[in-house]
Amino acid sequence: MTTTVQSAGRPAWLNALAFAAVAASLFGAYLGLRVSPVDVNQGDLIRVMYAHVAVAWVSFAAVAVSAVAGIVYLWRDRPIADVVSVAAAEGALLFGALTIVGGMTYSKPTLGTFWTWDAKLTLTALMVALLVGVFVVRGLIADPVRRGRVSAVIMLIVLASLPLNYLAAEWFRTLHPAKAIDLTGGGVTIEPVMLNILLFNVVAAGLVFAWLLFERIRLGMQEQQDGDGQAPSAPAEAVHV
Amino acid sequence: MKRWVYALLGVAVLGVAGVLIQRALGEALVYFILPSEYAADPATYEDRRIRLGGIVSPGTVQYDDQKLVLAFDVTDSLQTFPVEHIGTPPELFKENTGVVVEGSFEDGTFKSDNLLVKHTEVYEAPKDGEPIDVEALKESLE
Repeated sequence: MTTTVQSAGRPAWLNALAFAAVAASLFGAYLGLRVSPVDVNQGDLIRVMYAHVAVAWVSFAAVAVSAVAGIVYLWRDRPIADVVSVAAAEGALLFGALTIVGGMTYSKPTLGTFWTWDAKLTLTALMVALLVGVFVVRGLIADPVRRGRVSAVIMLIVLASLPLNYLAAEWFRTLHPAKAIDLTGGGVTIEPVMLNILLFNVVAAGLVFAWLLFERIRLGMQEQQDGDGQAPSAPAEAVHV
Repeated sequence: MKRWVYALLGVAVLGVAGVLIQRALGEALVYFILPSEYAADPATYEDRRIRLGGIVSPGTVQYDDQKLVLAFDVTDSLQTFPVEHIGTPPELFKENTGVVVEGSFEDGTFKSDNLLVKHTEVYEAPKDGEPIDVEALKESLE
């Protein structure tokens, strides 16, 4: 598909964000690998936790961003909302997959298995499966309006599963350890220096997500300018959801 | 008007789905049972492969590194059962740590072929005066 649309000048803040994301990730890795003390039970394995927990939290946040953009799309029908929703959903899928890969890496030497079907792991697998589903379904629907609505509804379902996932280790018996930072009143059971390193890594992972998100939104907006790429608008007799 | 009907229907369907998921997860996904739950109703779990979860009783751990048999007691402070695990102890296995063993009861002893560690959500550096045994940890990781 040939296009004559000029790509708008790349904004300076996006480059700054990219630089900040990479720099923060590198410094976060340094903190986790070199500065953090060893854990009294896990020893050096605690260092995997910083990456695993940060990536998992950001995958949850990405699902929330995508679902909120989806709600806006259902409500207002603005094409830009669908662009944002898809961009965040892609981030959620990436970070969700990293959560599972990192979790398996962490789990084998600590818990004694790569994978087990406890409530927390099952719900996380479900989340990633649904996110894959979003893109499969999007590929099947030609009408951009219907495509946006259906994918927004799936994102709402993914969002609905998050509270269960977040509280799974408290509500159900799981092999996955419960939260060390209990926002529901249980207090913090992680040493302050470890907590700070974890929070820094969460911010770093958040910056990486924000960077990818805005890159993808720019791309999505360009796609829309180009007449929505591969998908022609629906014929008149198409059934709308 | 039609929109509101759809919206209400949607909320109702999601609500029902949520309740069903919550119940299914709550009942079917009890990942392991406690020693006291087994003791209260052993017949239910007879001749079945189960997961038993509890704490490793201090002073009960015996490891035969020739036959690779690890024996210890698992307890939930109400009930205690002896466990015989075929295999090596995982790295984080020690006294007073949470474990989940997979297998079945034979003559009052739980025969396990899969030993998982359920560690706590407490993360801390070793205190001064009780240095962590880094060498032992490294050895166990090899």
